[in-house]
Amino acid sequence: MIEQLKEIYSTLIVYKDGSNQLGLDYKWFATENDEIIGIRNDELTSKDVSLLTTFLSPYNVKFPTPTEVERNWREIIFSSVLKKEDNNWKPSNPFRFVYFAFNKNQIEPVLFKDAIEALFDKQVPILWESEHEGFIIEQQMMEEESISYEQIIDILMSDLYVKINFFVGPYKKDIIELTPHYNSLTNVAKRVFLYTNKSVVTYVEAIPFILTKQTEEGLRLDISKTILQEYINDEETIKMIETFFNCNLNLSETAKILHLHRNSLQYRLDRFVEKTGIDIRQFHDAKTVSLALLARK
Amino acid sequence: MAELKLVNIKKVYDNNVVSVENFNLEIRDKEFLVLVGPSGCGKSTTLRMIAGLEEISSGDLFIGDKRVNDVPPKDRNIAMVFQNYALYPHMDVYNNMAFGLKLRKFKKDEIKKRVDNAAKILGLESLLNRKPKALSGGQRQRVALGRAIVRDAEVFLMDEPLSNLDAKLRVQMRAEIQKLHSRLQTTTIYVTHDQTEAMTMATRLVVMKDGIIQQVGAPKEVYDEPDNVFVGGFIGSPAMNFLNGKLVGNHFVMDDVKLLVPDGRLKILRQQGYDGKDIILGIRPEDINDEQVFLDFSPETKVNASIEVAELMGAEIILYSQVNNQNFVARIDSRFNISAGDTIDLAFDLSKAHFFDKETEQRIK
Repeated sequence: MIEQLKEIYSTLIVYKDGSNQLGLDYKWFATENDEIIGIRNDELTSKDVSLLTTFLSPYNVKFPTPTEVERNWREIIFSSVLKKEDNNWKPSNPFRFVYFAFNKNQIEPVLFKDAIEALFDKQVPILWESEHEGFIIEQQMMEEESISYEQIIDILMSDLYVKINFFVGPYKKDIIELTPHYNSLTNVAKRVFLYTNKSVVTYVEAIPFILTKQTEEGLRLDISKTILQEYINDEETIKMIETFFNCNLNLSETAKILHLHRNSLQYRLDRFVEKTGIDIRQFHDAKTVSLALLARK
Repeated sequence: MAELKLVNIKKVYDNNVVSVENFNLEIRDKEFLVLVGPSGCGKSTTLRMIAGLEEISSGDLFIGDKRVNDVPPKDRNIAMVFQNYALYPHMDVYNNMAFGLKLRKFKKDEIKKRVDNAAKILGLESLLNRKPKALSGGQRQRVALGRAIVRDAEVFLMDEPLSNLDAKLRVQMRAEIQKLHSRLQTTTIYVTHDQTEAMTMATRLVVMKDGIIQQVGAPKEVYDEPDNVFVGGFIGSPAMNFLNGKLVGNHFVMDDVKLLVPDGRLKILRQQGYDGKDIILGIRPEDINDEQVFLDFSPETKVNASIEVAELMGAEIILYSQVNNQNFVARIDSRFNISAGDTIDLAFDLSKAHFFDKETEQRIK
């Protein structure tokens, strides 16, 4: 359909995530397949618009007008080295990039920004990658009452009815090598949620994911088979081990969550040692099994 | 107000993990329905599918007569309350309740009317100017409820809303939520892993395990007639006792221990061909008695037990013992002074006990 429309409207473009924002000089429509297409306003008559809206949904995304601080950040991150030197603006406090993503077409970026600013009680720079993902730039303020990103998710879910994932980057004190840092975070952020069901992942938590992803697929499979042995497809044991790791190797806590007696859990861990020679109650063994579990995914 | 219907709902995550399967349920208008089960049983996923926060892999979800699988969450006319109080730390109580409406561009007068009404219902009128950090845990959770009430939604979805509170406050808030429900009569779906919370609050319970409904029914029905070993063991505290044995003649036999099975139960077991077969006896701790009248009345269900642990709970004592090397727990009146190390006779009231198939773990009925 898009090809046919292109024959009629030569200015037709398909919007891609991460590209420039949706320009105001285009009229935007969503197709049945959720593709966003734009046609230049000067190529459309009101009759054309009426006709197109009979089979396409008008698509209006209003991004918040970038603030001066947001423009500065964009310039620092995306401009050339030479320009960076010309730019005297520097963040006053340590800062971190926090990636966010929610489902397409669920909320308007303007509403999201309003809610985030209400949560932090101040203007928070947001760099939009598309209408459903981007980076919050959070400045470290020691005196602030802190609020976790898990709490933020619940607040936004109850107010905006939207499920959000956050990937929380590490704090940085200066803007040296900011572009590769930003690009690297973007790369990780877009993949990390394939490995976990958690809604908030920190950079530290993501390191094992990143390293595992770098490993060649055959080797990953080999590692998981060698370490997990006969348990590789034993979902019940795998769930037990994952819960044990999530509980910081705390037996009582794990037993409580799994509704097992502590002794039953001990027994099952002993069986795992008998079969594999690996005792996940020991840090180094636990670390290896944790990587093998990631390699299995 | 609204009815909900879930038809063959299934949720499969990207990593092919099936979280919820074959979920069929009709939720009645004004009902307080509780989804209960251990961690990872799929109860929160089900709630989030109803909210629209999780995509439904297959099946149909109806709110009223409308199929809402593809309706965005904001258009489902629901309100949610979470375990985290979900409050804006820098806003006072009034603005915390008002903010969701402000985002939706409600008029100021309407916002004020709704917030004042919610504050009155929840007894928050004197706290409207306070910020969350100046509130107790219970007050914060009441504000979270207020944020849901102002929506004037058809359905309330509550995901473990009391889990962050201490035991005493939890009991108090349980009663407050029940009062709120009887006042507002809004259809409510409530998720908890706490069987006491489920038993005390629900109009109906849905017990879940591994993404599958195990039983649906009124709390008393589920407690008195559990469909399987899991439900029997999960609902009730202390849990139901399960003893492995065999039906031989008129008796449930555990090696040299024999308990007489009442005629009615015996007939059912025999009709279903369990004579001579391994079965599981399920009996609640309160159906094991030490009073003389019971011991005299049913001498053939008597067990001589050595008490390993005796926990005085106030009005009752919880006794831990063994029969035929199988652990059991009895709950008896604390009028009788029993300590660890004592040996006493206990009568198992088999008229209230249940028998379960050894293989399927389903109740034989």
